[in-house]
Amino acid sequence: MAEETENRNGSAKSISIRSMNKYYGSFHALKDFSIEVEAGEFLVILGPSGCGKSTALRMIAGLESISSGELLIGDTNVTEVLPKYRDIAMVFQSYALYPHKTVAENIGFPLKMAKVPTNERHAAVQVAAEQVELHNHLDRFPSQLSGGQRQRVALARAIVRRPSVFLMDEPLSNLDAKLRGNMRAELKHMQSELGITTIYVTHDQIEAMTLANRVAIMKDGVIQQIGTPKEVYSDPVNLFVAGFMGLPPMNFINGTITAGKFLTSDAEIDASGIPDTKQATFGFRPEDCKVVAAGKGLIDANVYTVEMTGDQVLVTFDLRGGHLVVKMPKDFEIATGISAGITLDKNQAYFFDSEHGPRLHANQI
Amino acid sequence: MKTLHPKSGLFESRAIGEMALASRIILYTLLLGWSAFVLFPIYWLIITSFKNAATVNQGPYFLPWIDFQPSMHAWYELFVSDYEDTLRAYINSIIISLSATALSVLIGSMAAYALSRVHYAPNLITILFFVFLVALTWVSISAFDVDWRVALAVGVALFFFLARGVGRLHQIHLHNGDILFWIISQRILAPIVVVVPIYMMFQSVRLLDTHMALILTYCVVNMPIVVWLMFDFFNTIPRDLEESAQLDGATMFGTFREIVLPLSRAGLAATTLLVMILSWNEYLFALFLSTTKAQTMPILVAAMNAGERGILWWTMSVAIIIMILPVVLLAVILQKYISKGLLVGAVKG
Repeated sequence: MAEETENRNGSAKSISIRSMNKYYGSFHALKDFSIEVEAGEFLVILGPSGCGKSTALRMIAGLESISSGELLIGDTNVTEVLPKYRDIAMVFQSYALYPHKTVAENIGFPLKMAKVPTNERHAAVQVAAEQVELHNHLDRFPSQLSGGQRQRVALARAIVRRPSVFLMDEPLSNLDAKLRGNMRAELKHMQSELGITTIYVTHDQIEAMTLANRVAIMKDGVIQQIGTPKEVYSDPVNLFVAGFMGLPPMNFINGTITAGKFLTSDAEIDASGIPDTKQATFGFRPEDCKVVAAGKGLIDANVYTVEMTGDQVLVTFDLRGGHLVVKMPKDFEIATGISAGITLDKNQAYFFDSEHGPRLHANQI
Repeated sequence: MKTLHPKSGLFESRAIGEMALASRIILYTLLLGWSAFVLFPIYWLIITSFKNAATVNQGPYFLPWIDFQPSMHAWYELFVSDYEDTLRAYINSIIISLSATALSVLIGSMAAYALSRVHYAPNLITILFFVFLVALTWVSISAFDVDWRVALAVGVALFFFLARGVGRLHQIHLHNGDILFWIISQRILAPIVVVVPIYMMFQSVRLLDTHMALILTYCVVNMPIVVWLMFDFFNTIPRDLEESAQLDGATMFGTFREIVLPLSRAGLAATTLLVMILSWNEYLFALFLSTTKAQTMPILVAAMNAGERGILWWTMSVAIIIMILPVVLLAVILQKYISKGLLVGAVKG
C-alpha cells in the first residue's frame, strides 16, 4: 500500500529515527527511540500520558532538541536543523489556530511564509478548504467556529503545502465522542488519499487501532512493541502491551507456573510447554471467553455486575477482590451475585512473567 | 393543575433575573450619590476657571450666571498673555511622557517576552561578584584616584577571568520568578528614597533640567509596570501558536511580527496608555530634576500655588483642565480595552 501511495504522491518521504534520546537534566525522558517509518505510512505512537510520546513527536518536529541519536527524513539528516527546514506540518492538540487571522489566512499562512504568490496562494487555500469542507467559512475567525471546524482548519493548514511529513499530537482529543469518530474516518481517508507519511500520537487505543498501518506502544520513554494493530493486539510482547490494548482490557489472574500448570488458589489451568515461573500472570481477553454454568469452566467466580452496552453484554466477575470481564452476546442474561464459570480455548490464553513483564511462550518442540 | 404566578413586592423581584423595586431604588441612589461625589470636583474646577478673585473669595458660588458672572480672564491670561510658559510646559510634558513611554514599553515588553519564553538560571554568586567588582572599581576611582580607564579595564578583566571560577564555588540559581520579582520590587521602593541620588547623578553628568533626565528617569521608574503587565499578557498567548508558526516556516522575526505582535496589541496598548498617564502626572521627580527649561505641567500647576499674588485658583483651574484633558481621553480609550476583556485572556480560541 505504501508503494502505491508513494507513486501517486512523489513528495512522501520515509523517516528513520535511530537511537534518539532525550534528557532533561538528569531525567531520561526518551530512551533509545528507534523506528523506521516507510514513505506514506501511517504510524501511531500509543501510550499513557507521560510516557514520552509527545516528546518524541516534538523532537521529530524540531521543537525540542535531540540529546543524542539521528533523525533522517527521506535521505536527509535533519537531526540539528530548525523546524522550518524539515518540511513538516504538525497538527496540535489545541489546534494552535491563529486567533487574529481568518480561516483563509490561517490555512494560507504556511504558503505566505514560503512567499508563494498571492494568486497561487488563494487557489491552494481554496483547494485545501474544499478538501475539509470549509470553503464557506473562509472569512470567519477561529473563535466563530465549532470544535470540529477548528480541527478541520488545522488539518487544512497542514495539507495546504503538501509537506513530506505530517505530525499529529492527539488531534482528536478535544472533540466530543461522536465527532471524534467522524473525524477519525476523515483523517484516515485523507491520509491515504494524499499518501503523506504520518506520525500520530495518541493515548486512545481505538484511534491507534483504526488509523495505524503500524502502532508503536510506549511506556516510560521506551518503545515496548512495534507492529500492525492486529499484531500488537493478538500477539502482545509483554504484560504492559497486553493490558494497554483492548477495551475492556485483558483479564489478569496472578499465580505460579509449575510443571506445565498455572496454579492459583481458585483454579488450575493448563499451561503445558510454558517454563516454570514463580510469579506468573495468566491473561485472557473478554471476547475470547464465555460464561458457563458453575464448575463447567476454568474458573468459578461470583457475578459482580452485568452491563448492557447495546451490541453486547459485559459480565463482570469478582475474584478475590479482582475483576474479570466477559463479553457476551446482547441477548445474554444472568443474575448478579450467583456463581458461574468462565471458559476459554487454550490457544487464547496468554502467560506472562509478572515480575519482569515479558510474555511466556510455550517451548516449541 | 396549579400555576404559581409571579408575585411583586418591594423586596421581592417580580420575575427571574429582575431586581426588586427596593433594591433598585437603593442601587441607583448609591450610584447617583457616588457619581455626584466623583464628578463634583471636576464641575468645581470648570466653574472656578471662569471666576475671578472676588467671586472666589466671597463665595462659595455654585451656579454660573445665577450666583456669579463668569469671566474668561483666567483663560485669556494662560492662553494669550502667559502663553509661552503654558505652551512650554505642555510641550515638555508631551515630549517627556511620549518618549519615556515609548522607551519603557519597548524595552520592558522585550524583557517581559524573554522572561515569559526563555528559562533563565543565573547564579546569584556570579551576580554578587559582578556587583562587588563594580563597587571596587568605583571606590578605587573615587577614593584612591586610580585612572578610570585603568580601573575599568582591570574590573572587566577580573570579571571575565574569574566569573566562571567564582560561579563554581557555590551555586544558588535564580529563576525567572526571582528576576521578575526583583524587577517589580524596584517599583515597590518609594521614589522619595532615590530622588536625591538621582538628582546627584544627573547633576554630575550635567543633565539637570533637560528632557533627557526626566525621560530616562520615567523610563526606569515605569519599566517594572511594563514588565509586570506584559509578562502576564505574554503568558496568555499559547506557546503552541509560536511553535506552529515555526513549523509553518516562519522565521523567529516572522513569528514575532505575524503572531506575537498582533496578539499582544491589546496588552501593549493598555500598558502604553497606563504608563503614559503615570508619566504625564508624575510630580516628585519633575520637581527635583526640572527647574524652568524642562518644567512639566504638574510643576507649572503647583507653581501657581506660590506666586506673590497669592494662590491664583482661577488660572490654576484652567491649567489643571488642559492638563487632565488628554488623561481623560486616554482613560476613555483604556476603559474600552479593559471592558472588552482584552487585558486578560485575550486569545482564548
